[in-house]
Amino acid sequence: MNIEVKALIAALLISGTVVGCFLGTARVVQSNTSKPSGESAAKSSAIKDPKVTAGAKLFALNCAHCHGVDATGDEGPDLHKVTKTDERIKSQILNGVKGEMPAFGKKLTQDDVATLVVFIHSLSGK
Amino acid sequence: MFIAIDFFDAGFWDRVHGGSTHLPIALALTSALLDGVGSLAPSGRFREGFRFSGYFTLLLAALGAVPAVISGLMLTKWDALGSGVTLLHHYFVWPSFGLLIALVVWRSIARHRTSRIGFSIYLIAILTTAVLVSIAGFWGGEMVLNR
Repeated sequence: MNIEVKALIAALLISGTVVGCFLGTARVVQSNTSKPSGESAAKSSAIKDPKVTAGAKLFALNCAHCHGVDATGDEGPDLHKVTKTDERIKSQILNGVKGEMPAFGKKLTQDDVATLVVFIHSLSGK
Repeated sequence: MFIAIDFFDAGFWDRVHGGSTHLPIALALTSALLDGVGSLAPSGRFREGFRFSGYFTLLLAALGAVPAVISGLMLTKWDALGSGVTLLHHYFVWPSFGLLIALVVWRSIARHRTSRIGFSIYLIAILTTAVLVSIAGFWGGEMVLNR
C-alpha cells in the first residue's frame, strides 16, 4: 500500500480518536455534573407562570454559565436576592457591567430581557 | 491592588483560553503560507526549506491547539457545543482541530515521500484548516467583543 494512503488512514484514525476523546469526555463530564436547570429553579419557586418558564429557558441558555444552573451564583452573583428595579436589571442585562458581566444587547430582544426579569423576580418569590 | 485569588475567580479560564488560542491560529496560517510558497519555489533546496518550516509550524500549531481546546472546554464547563455564538464558534473549532491533528499525523508519516498529487491535496487541506481556524477565531472574538 502506498505510504500516502497508509499515512491518511493513520491520520484519520488518530484524529478521530483525539477529537472523539475530547467530545466523549465533555459528554461524560456534562452528564455527570448534576445540573438542576434554570427550569427547576423556577419550579422550586412553585410558580407556573408561562413567562417564568420561558425566562427559565432563556436563563439556562444565557445566564446559567455564570450565575449557576440554579441561579445561586458561580462566577456571577446569586440572583435569588436581587433587589434592583426592573429597569436596572434590564439595563444590566443589555449593557453588561464592565469587567464583570457581558452585554446581551445584541443577543437578546427586549421581550427576552423582560421575560428574564420576570424569571429573576420569581426566584425571590415576588 | 491585584490579588492572585481574584485572578482565578474572575474568569481564569477565559484568560488562559484567550491567551492560548492565538498561537495555533497564527501557526496554522503560517504553515499554510510556507507550504504554499514552498510549492511554488523553483529550486529543490528552497522548496525543502519552506516545506520543513511548514511542517514544523504545523506541528507546533497542533501541539498548541491541545491546551487551547482544553482551556476552552474548562471555560464552557465541558459543554462541547453550547448555543448562539458559542455554538457557531464550536462548529468551526472541532473540524479545524480534527484537521490539524490529521494533517500533522499524515505529514509526520509521509514526510518527504509525497507525490505531487498527494501534496496538492495536503495543500488544499491545510488551506481549508487555516480558513476554518480563522473563522473559529473570528467567532471567538465576537464573543469577547460583544461583551
